[in-house]
Amino acid sequence: MKKLDKRLWGLIKSTKGQFFAISVVVAIGLMIFVSMGSAESNLQSALKDYYQLTNFSDLYVQVVKIPEKDISKIQSKYHFSDIEGRIVSEVPMITEDENERVTVRVTSVSDEDRVNRLYYIEGSPIQDKNHDVILVQQFAEARDIHIGDPIRLQINGRQYKMIVKGIAASAEYIYLIESAQNMLPNESKFGVAYVSKEFAQRSFGLSGSANEVIIKLNSNQDPENMKDVLKDDFENFGLKRIITQENQLSNRMMSEELAQLKNISGSIPILFLSIAGIVLVMMVSRMVKKDRISIGVMKALGYSASQIILHYTKYALSAGALGVFLGSLLGTVVAGAMTEMYIEFFNLPLLKINFYPQYVFWSIAFAGVFCGVSGIWGAKEILKIMPAESMRPEAPKAGKRIFLENFKFFWNHLSFSWKMVIKNAFRNKKRMVFVLFGVSLTCSMMVATISLVSSTLSLFDKHFTEFQKMDYNINFSTPLNEDVVKEIPHLVETQRVEPKIEFPFEVSNGLKKEIVNVIGINRDTEFYSFKDMDEKITRVSEEGILITENLAKALKVNKGAHIKIHSFIPGREDIYLRVENVIKQGLGMNAYMALDSMGNELMESQLVTGAYVDSKDPDIVKKLINADHIATIQSSQDMLNIFQEFMGLTIMSIGFIVVMAGILGFSIVYNATVISIGEREMEFSSMRVLGFSKNEIFSMILRESIVITIFGILIGIPVGRLMGSAMGNMYSNEIYTMEIIADTRSYLLACFFTILFITLSQLATYRKIRKLNFLQALKNRVS
Amino acid sequence: MLKHDILIAEKISKHYQMGEVTVKALENASFKFSKGDFVVILGPSGSGKSTLLNIIGGMDLPTSGKVYLRDEEITKFSEKKLTEYRRDKVGFVFQFYNIMANLTARENVELAVEICKNSLDIDKVMDEVGLSERKDHFPSQLSGGEQQRVAIARAVAKNPEILLCDEPTGALDYSTGVSILSLLKKVNKEFNMTVVVITHNAAIAEIGDKVIKMRSGEIVDIWTNESPVNPERIEW
Repeated sequence: MKKLDKRLWGLIKSTKGQFFAISVVVAIGLMIFVSMGSAESNLQSALKDYYQLTNFSDLYVQVVKIPEKDISKIQSKYHFSDIEGRIVSEVPMITEDENERVTVRVTSVSDEDRVNRLYYIEGSPIQDKNHDVILVQQFAEARDIHIGDPIRLQINGRQYKMIVKGIAASAEYIYLIESAQNMLPNESKFGVAYVSKEFAQRSFGLSGSANEVIIKLNSNQDPENMKDVLKDDFENFGLKRIITQENQLSNRMMSEELAQLKNISGSIPILFLSIAGIVLVMMVSRMVKKDRISIGVMKALGYSASQIILHYTKYALSAGALGVFLGSLLGTVVAGAMTEMYIEFFNLPLLKINFYPQYVFWSIAFAGVFCGVSGIWGAKEILKIMPAESMRPEAPKAGKRIFLENFKFFWNHLSFSWKMVIKNAFRNKKRMVFVLFGVSLTCSMMVATISLVSSTLSLFDKHFTEFQKMDYNINFSTPLNEDVVKEIPHLVETQRVEPKIEFPFEVSNGLKKEIVNVIGINRDTEFYSFKDMDEKITRVSEEGILITENLAKALKVNKGAHIKIHSFIPGREDIYLRVENVIKQGLGMNAYMALDSMGNELMESQLVTGAYVDSKDPDIVKKLINADHIATIQSSQDMLNIFQEFMGLTIMSIGFIVVMAGILGFSIVYNATVISIGEREMEFSSMRVLGFSKNEIFSMILRESIVITIFGILIGIPVGRLMGSAMGNMYSNEIYTMEIIADTRSYLLACFFTILFITLSQLATYRKIRKLNFLQALKNRVS
Repeated sequence: MLKHDILIAEKISKHYQMGEVTVKALENASFKFSKGDFVVILGPSGSGKSTLLNIIGGMDLPTSGKVYLRDEEITKFSEKKLTEYRRDKVGFVFQFYNIMANLTARENVELAVEICKNSLDIDKVMDEVGLSERKDHFPSQLSGGEQQRVAIARAVAKNPEILLCDEPTGALDYSTGVSILSLLKKVNKEFNMTVVVITHNAAIAEIGDKVIKMRSGEIVDIWTNESPVNPERIEW
């Protein structure tokens, strides 16, 4: 080992705490890079292969009814890569527990099974077209249903006993959720059952027809363009909506997960490495200053400036190397764990844990660049050190009055010790700003994370308890006369029943268009509580329409504007309605009208599509499931329960970010404090000689940190709020509108964790004060 | 202990272990200081004078021997008691001043006074050391001699029993050095404070009431100057 390298080892040993702290920051940055990057690659490649293998559809055209011969005509017009008509409809599944609400999306598969091919896990394709059913894997596993087991489906008031022939995965249901409003899967309560086309056509009364067309486009056909073009072709078949692959629910969830992984793996590591770089610059420049005499001696012995710079740069690179080692190792382990979690969470059969050496190579490159540049930057003062000069004592640093001293009233009321504390805090402005940045970053990350999670929790809670308050949302299999609703209280015990119309329409403002469910409700509804953007309560009125905030944004309209409502029901004219108000709604994108107005203007008068019910009747499902006109019964409590099940996972993810942010804050404050103690060794030694105890000196340093921490928190809270809002906006989409509500509890928690990590960092520095050899320090002439 | 004896050292030794070698930094040193003495400890580098000062100042403990301040044995003190001793009984002046760069001259004195029980009036002390016009200046705005005056004011303002000065003129030019010695003499007389000056400069010995001469860790001679010389009259 070269002598300089031996010296380097000594340097590392004497600063092991700081060295390790900085390596941990590098390691965390690279761990996030390797783990998120690898997890993204795992997901991305599995998804690509899976979509290719199953010939995943590009367009989903939902219609009331389209004869098969018309599908062929459309195919001969556009020559798609593939096209298939199918029947998709949600029906109740009868279980042994008669009060259990289980919804199954019955989906027909043709013999050819060309588009959205099933990926068989067990069993075989349908053979007995009248009785065989293929179940989606998640549902079968959640309900412990096996090949050969019977299931009972209630279709149009009739029960069908089917036998499970196969268990399959589908690219359409990698993430199995019932609708956009569910957001979280409830695999035992919602499933997909694939039946033969013949069975579906017969049981749903759609002989020779389909109610959904799935299309695989050619490479030269643009999905968005085709979506617009096809509207005219399907108009006459009761077009409900056309969904592109991009907006297909499961794919959308996957894309968002991938985008999130990509965002995090591309930004957070840079933040961590930048912080590590700044700390390294501070550490190395401090070392160079402390070693001024040794550097002078080395130069006098004939070592070149570049050799000595390299010597100190190696320190920074060594910290980076340890960071790369730990980061890659942990990153690979975490990538495996994340992929395992995705395997659990998503039904993606081709998903495997792969090792991607390129992420490790990139980690080495990133750490090399960040740490190398920081080392050189920190050591650049070596160029200015002249051997003879280095042996002379340093001139005292220029002292200056601080800004706060101008506020005489404030300053004169401070005790001398607090004046000292504040003066010391402002002594090295760059470092103070960096520590301030570190504390505020830690605090803001915590505020943003905690408030985002708390907002997500309140989003669900508010949606199902404040915004919509019904216990059950009942959907009829077809639109019926509103008298049917009056029968419900005769079937079950109810506290309140209200009719509803829920039907998809295309709403547009110029070129901006969205297909949304317009919901018609009683004007004096007790089941909805609408609030406008100013938090004022509003209601549906005789005229006009209420639209949700995200729909207003998508259409770029405000209150008072007129929007076009295009009906997919054949023969209906487009109508224009005034936007009476824009309302806040956490989950989903909708528009609301008075029931009678909607019936008159958009549908048929006195027709309803379902009802909202408040009922404490424990047997409600059992009593209603057999009513032939009822297709689905959704319970708000069920929705809330599923969400609460996911709380554990949420708390784990908060914990992860809180720990990350905490380590970052710890490392910044710990290193800055240790550097500061090193710089002020002589000062503290003098104070010890003057009769200050170790605790008094530590308390002075602690108070300096407290001052900076307080300011850091004061900056961190509003910054965290902004970060939270930006994250909320980023996560807001058609499915949910995130409104960041940073409540007092979120702030208190964020402050508590920030203070906890900063306190830990200070306690870690206490050892330095205890070990301070003041006799040795007083002999030094270099501070 | 006689009434006027303020500090007594009895056979103090300090041995360090340097690898396999035992370094005898101080060996069997015994002496007494009286209230108001101006003592010069004289010796070349490595003679043990700084070790002696550190032990008297409560910054280090001897390997053997005892040191009393009045009737208290400081060599038996716990770390806490030693801190209190340094705080209330001893004032230090260092060769390289060791004053805080970000505090003004007055604030440097305030820093020391803040923790003392019987401190003197800061402004009076600043006047005495000749810094009344410079007390709001920062160290970087002061000359070496002025910085040393700040250090002396800081030590004196604590109103200690003994003022210990480690090579107080070591970093100064001749005339500034003389002025600092004059100041220390003034402090000694006006505040009736026992002043101990460590130096390798034999010329300084002439100004002391009592001189302790050291060599290789041992006291080789102790004598009393019947008529100490005025600092302005010495030369080196």
